[in-house]
Amino acid sequence: MTNRRDFLKLTAAAGLTATPLFSAAQTEDLVFACPTAMSGNFSAIGKFSEIGVRYAIEQQGTLLGKKLRYRMIDTEAKPATAVRRVQEAMQQHNIKFFPGALLSAESLAMSKEIDRAGGVFLTNAGADEITGIECNRSTFRWAVPTYGIIQGSVRPAADLLPKAKRWYTITPQYVFGDDLLKNAKNLFKEKGIEHVGNSYHSLTEKEFSGHLTNAIATKADVLLLLNYGAQASDTLRQAVSFGMKRNMTIVVAVASGLEQFESLGADICEDIYFGAVYWHTIDTNLNKKLVSDVREKYKITPNYSLAAPFICTRLLMDGIIKANSLEPAAVIASLEGMKFEGLTGMEEVRKEDHQVLRDFYLLKGKAKAKMRDKDDYAEILNAGRSFLSAAEAGCKMA
Amino acid sequence: MNVYLLQLINGIGTGMLYFVLAVGLSIIFGLLRFVNFAHGAFFLLGAYGCYQLAQLGLNFWWTLLLGPLIVGCLAMLAETYLFRKVYKLPHEMHILITVGIAMVLQEVVITQWGPLGHNVSPPEALQGVVIWGDFVYPKYRVFVIGVGAMMALIIAAVLEGTRLGAIVRAGSESTEMVSLLGLNIKRIFSLVFAFGAATAALAGVLAAPIRGVDPFMGVEALSVAFVVVVVGGMGSFAGALVGGLLVGIVQSMMSTIWPPGANLMIYVAMATVLLLRPNGILGRA
Repeated sequence: MTNRRDFLKLTAAAGLTATPLFSAAQTEDLVFACPTAMSGNFSAIGKFSEIGVRYAIEQQGTLLGKKLRYRMIDTEAKPATAVRRVQEAMQQHNIKFFPGALLSAESLAMSKEIDRAGGVFLTNAGADEITGIECNRSTFRWAVPTYGIIQGSVRPAADLLPKAKRWYTITPQYVFGDDLLKNAKNLFKEKGIEHVGNSYHSLTEKEFSGHLTNAIATKADVLLLLNYGAQASDTLRQAVSFGMKRNMTIVVAVASGLEQFESLGADICEDIYFGAVYWHTIDTNLNKKLVSDVREKYKITPNYSLAAPFICTRLLMDGIIKANSLEPAAVIASLEGMKFEGLTGMEEVRKEDHQVLRDFYLLKGKAKAKMRDKDDYAEILNAGRSFLSAAEAGCKMA
Repeated sequence: MNVYLLQLINGIGTGMLYFVLAVGLSIIFGLLRFVNFAHGAFFLLGAYGCYQLAQLGLNFWWTLLLGPLIVGCLAMLAETYLFRKVYKLPHEMHILITVGIAMVLQEVVITQWGPLGHNVSPPEALQGVVIWGDFVYPKYRVFVIGVGAMMALIIAAVLEGTRLGAIVRAGSESTEMVSLLGLNIKRIFSLVFAFGAATAALAGVLAAPIRGVDPFMGVEALSVAFVVVVVGGMGSFAGALVGGLLVGIVQSMMSTIWPPGANLMIYVAMATVLLLRPNGILGRA
């Protein structure tokens, strides 16, 4: 039986063994750190992100003569924790490169910290501020801001549904939801669509039947869901159970990815329109290779939480290779304006606000009988890119 | 049909589920004076039991029976070998231990079924909607209202019309007195605890086709259950029914009156009840 003294000895031994390992990494290896939620409600993001980063790192192996390594930073989906752990990584372990974050609030907080300390940060957060009014020299974004999401989902959906002139929205009440709603309203005006009502809900809401009852009462043609992730899934599941597919078309402005389809199942997703930042059937060389390799190596199909950190890591490595330097300032300069073969085709890092210009997709859920494999939940109906200019987005790069 | 009438009916549906969720918590506190923060975890186990049994090919009706039964048995074991030893400790210790148990169970669920959510389909007979003029309501939710009403009647009949009910009611007044009468109070505690956990599991099974299953649903359920119990009155069966319906109706009505505050208003309702009746609507001083 282990007594207290033995336990202390073991703990001390473990501590001594762990420290030199990381010291070695500091001097000989080039370490990337992916700050994302590895525990708590968003832990699924971390699980897939780790695979995405690992795949990119293993594929590259070495960079400028240094062995590439990575570590995951568990942000617990809390901005304060994220900032503290990024500070530790920069100050104690001299890490300068941070690819792959996904959540808006923590990305905004980390973005400021990494910029202040002189690192490089590649994020996939959705908040407009990232490459808008809060843009900075150190931060780059691969994901699409709210303007592009609405233009890439609602516009083509409205074009496909010319008779649907009455739309009802359900919106989470925070910055991301408000921005989506603002952009949707602008588009409704342009398209001559009547916005018959909106239900705001809090970020803790799980019961949407009351909001759906409001939507049913308006006899809208289309129900547009502007919420995201688990809340969008809950709303959609309950909307389908209320029989809303019978006489309404349902559009989800932005799906969180393949895992959302898996958790909902094909029966619920059938005939629903989804906006998507990434989908595994995108027909590009890099995406085909990613899908094939990940399926072979990890026995899963890449989803957004995996693909986005992968491409951020890949982009960062390309920036370092182009700069031929590990100095953050040189890497930032090389990334600015870079054009590259990305997951969605030819992509470009816009110099003015560090937004990656790439395609956004409109998907439509397939019937279970038409799925060609277990992940073939949807077909891509439309691909296109729409971005406000850096000035319109409010970015004034210092 | 007027939207408020639609919301009222919808609120009754939601409230009935809240009642089934909270009644066990209320009865456990009433008899055992035990603050059970693991109640949400029993709800979680019920929901995942439903999901797992469905994956194994059992139909929904079996899961409705087996889910609560299995969780009730597990809860009885936990009561016998763990919780019983801490009844005499202060409430803070109850909270500490049951929160710990809830966290362990949540992690077990994540380890076993992963951090992502899963869908559970309602049985075929309950798929689709009932249409009544402008009012459209899922058949499955009508079924949940029926189960809730049936549960209320059965519990009322047992508590008011049987010897066991009389012992439980007497025990909630004075456990010492019941012991002095020569009754095996430990066995009664075990049974009541298992029943309370089984009702939470039943709520989990009923909720699974409505909101799917995910590892964090227990925490959300626990907060709603506590609101219902506090509003209705700790330890009161009728209070759980009134509290559940009130919370469901407030939440649903507020979805039309002030949608962003629909969730917030259930806590405002709780604060209001506490101010006006500190022991809850049907609670005793």
